[in-house]
Amino acid sequence: MLGYLAQRIAQAVVVIFAMSIIVFVGVFAIGNPIDVMIDPAATEQMRDELIRRYGLDLPLWQQYFLFLQNVARGDLGTSMIYNVPVVGLIFSRLPATLDLVLVSVSIAGLIGIPAGIWAGYKPDSKSAKIIMALSVLGFSVPTFWIGMLLIMAFAVHLGWLPSGGRGEVGTILGIPTSLATLNGWSHVILPALNLSLFKMGLMIRLARAGMVEAMRTDYVKFARAQGLPDRQIVTSHVMRNIMIPIVTVFGLELGSTLAFAVVTESVFNWPGVGKLIIDSILQLDRPVMVAYLVMVVTLFVLINLVVDLIYARLDPRVRLKGGA
Amino acid sequence: MNVRALKSAVAALALLVAAPAAFAQDLTIGVRAGPDSIDPHWSTLGSQAETLRHIFDTLVDVDEKLQLKPGLATSWTPIDDTTWEFKIREGVKFHDGSPLTAKDVKFSIERIPVVTGPMPMTLYTKYVETAEVVDDYTLRIKTKGVAPSLPNDFTRLFVVSANTGMEARNEQFNSGEKAIGTGPYKFVSWQPKGDLVLVRNDDYWGGAPHWKNVVRKEIADDAARVAALRSGQVDLINYVPASDYVGFKNDKALDTFISDSVYILNVQPTVKDVLPQKVKIDGKETDVNPFKDLRVRQALDYAINRDVLVNVVLEGLGTPANQLMPEGFFGYSTELPKREYDLAKAKELLAEAGYPKGFEFDFTCTNNRVPGDAVVCEALAQMWSRAGLKVNAQALNGTVYFPAAAREEFSVAMSAWGTLTGEAAYTYGALVHTRDKDKGFGNFNRTGYSNPEFDAVFAKGAATLNNDERRKLYEQGSFIAMEDRALIPTVILQTVWAAKAGELKFTPRVDQETRAYAIQPAK
Repeated sequence: MLGYLAQRIAQAVVVIFAMSIIVFVGVFAIGNPIDVMIDPAATEQMRDELIRRYGLDLPLWQQYFLFLQNVARGDLGTSMIYNVPVVGLIFSRLPATLDLVLVSVSIAGLIGIPAGIWAGYKPDSKSAKIIMALSVLGFSVPTFWIGMLLIMAFAVHLGWLPSGGRGEVGTILGIPTSLATLNGWSHVILPALNLSLFKMGLMIRLARAGMVEAMRTDYVKFARAQGLPDRQIVTSHVMRNIMIPIVTVFGLELGSTLAFAVVTESVFNWPGVGKLIIDSILQLDRPVMVAYLVMVVTLFVLINLVVDLIYARLDPRVRLKGGA
Repeated sequence: MNVRALKSAVAALALLVAAPAAFAQDLTIGVRAGPDSIDPHWSTLGSQAETLRHIFDTLVDVDEKLQLKPGLATSWTPIDDTTWEFKIREGVKFHDGSPLTAKDVKFSIERIPVVTGPMPMTLYTKYVETAEVVDDYTLRIKTKGVAPSLPNDFTRLFVVSANTGMEARNEQFNSGEKAIGTGPYKFVSWQPKGDLVLVRNDDYWGGAPHWKNVVRKEIADDAARVAALRSGQVDLINYVPASDYVGFKNDKALDTFISDSVYILNVQPTVKDVLPQKVKIDGKETDVNPFKDLRVRQALDYAINRDVLVNVVLEGLGTPANQLMPEGFFGYSTELPKREYDLAKAKELLAEAGYPKGFEFDFTCTNNRVPGDAVVCEALAQMWSRAGLKVNAQALNGTVYFPAAAREEFSVAMSAWGTLTGEAAYTYGALVHTRDKDKGFGNFNRTGYSNPEFDAVFAKGAATLNNDERRKLYEQGSFIAMEDRALIPTVILQTVWAAKAGELKFTPRVDQETRAYAIQPAK
């Protein structure tokens, strides 16, 4: 177990290094961030002075080395655009994204998995066919467009829900969240639904496929022969067996939604990290880009770790080994 | 739960949580871009200045047409060639109750170089040698050389209290601790890329504004901003996208406000000896630069049908341009004729210049900096191809375009330029004057254009303190550069605001700013 953890952490460190180098080389290849940011009327001297101040005149390896030195001191840098420490900047917006992701992943899981199980349990029924047809829609219609439709329907025409923003923010366990107030919930519903549709489609398909396969297996036949009711067969035997692929995809989706919910965030004007990162890429705000990607990599590693731990619980045959 | 029950449950929930309908005292504005910081000395970004004007005042203010008017200074006069005297308004108080004096202005000028960021505000203090407090309400500025445009520069000089201290940085401003100005609104809260919440300053020297509570919501996405207006979440939005404008005009539930902007799309033909992207004649690359020939530049100009650009390509949201600034700006030449579309003449000029069969060249533009840049780019390529030229048009994201433009990698480029100060020195000094690092001119002259005749007239203007004489010299400079096709202006872009019908009235500004304190209720 310990060896396994150590191996995972080592992997994460390698990925973080590789990624920070890619960002540095990438930004360097595009050009000088100062040329993107600078005021059109600035003089040549001002430009040169700024380039010196931000150390952008140094050779790339030296810039990278300075960055590593600062990281070693626990300083990921200061945003060039906002002039505040990047870690604080990202964490000031992370709770908003967390709200959105938690609600959307919950919607996807709570509706998608039971619906998929039902569709796999009764694959020939009319309801199963409707569920499957809807899941195709969830997959194939672009998020952006559905977001606009939701806004047009619920915010503009019916006027039931707000068209965007985060609403009133309360705190739960010291974390600022929209989920603490009714007004906050009214703001979170539409974007979360929008964000969950794709995942819901995915969950339905996975659950159904697993279900159809499992219902044909011998252990189900034996259980039926034994006289167990179907409900008990599904909940205590089949579910356990079909959950492994679902948990894997669930984990990956959780991570990618946290990191890249940007389309939904911009359509619903949700003040999350997605918008921050897109803007910092457009403005070549390198410190924010690097810090954000470091955070994303760490997040993915953590989620994968949790997913692996859950595997071991679900299937005792899975062993967590170091060095494999 | 059946569908009806679900519907009524949602409706009930919505009623419970719906934000209270805006009271007559509240104004919520959906803006495309907000500030990067609450520190008024951090950045020259336009949306930064627009926002911080609510909290802080500038020494000199500008009207809707960008012409100067008193701000915290009531008057300004040159005493000699290198000294300006500013009279500071008496009886002005900061939000914490302390009085404004000349010391605060001096402190603000001296604070800028210490704290400003990658969009340096030192731009507006570059002519200042020293600031000298004569008495509480008189400030003398010694300038480096003759600086007739100093009052223009000071339209962006935000004044903070001398009590702020040199150590205060962005974080103390963002938290509100140091966000203490003299402006019409007091700071309540702000989040980067989020909402800015303001409350009325009842003691404002210019008279308390109408709205008690103002929220400026930053909604960068065009579609989301439009949806916010349509759903009633905001009362007013800026930068209505051209695609929605036509629908808005015919919508009785909405009012639209239109104004020329300061932004003009200019074609920039490189006139250096060697082009960075070589032109091809009959499919073969050549070392000759055809754009050095005035006749070729004129041909490009005559082939542009500006009426089509405005009415068809921009759906009416533009004005044909014949120089680099809109009418009424300081130095706008009234002598210049309206640019004409004459395809036959364009072909004739090309033939005269020795290219009867035309040539092939690369044309690069931005695609996301101003509304319409990408479509105008494509339209221009088509127009030039009708004159017999083969144009490889490419519209790039600004993040890629600007660094490459700074490396002078484009032969013919197009981007928007805005005369933000309302006077010619800003634009012609940066774009047209020969590049001169020491004098600080021509820093955005990427075409290699150099005309001694223009430079002489411009230099004379920049050293003339008398307003009328300087205006004449700048007009003459505009005329010379434009007749020489140093750059080829195409269209002035227009901006559109939209509000719920019959609720608000305001005068749209040429600098595109949306000032809450200048907006009145319609009734």
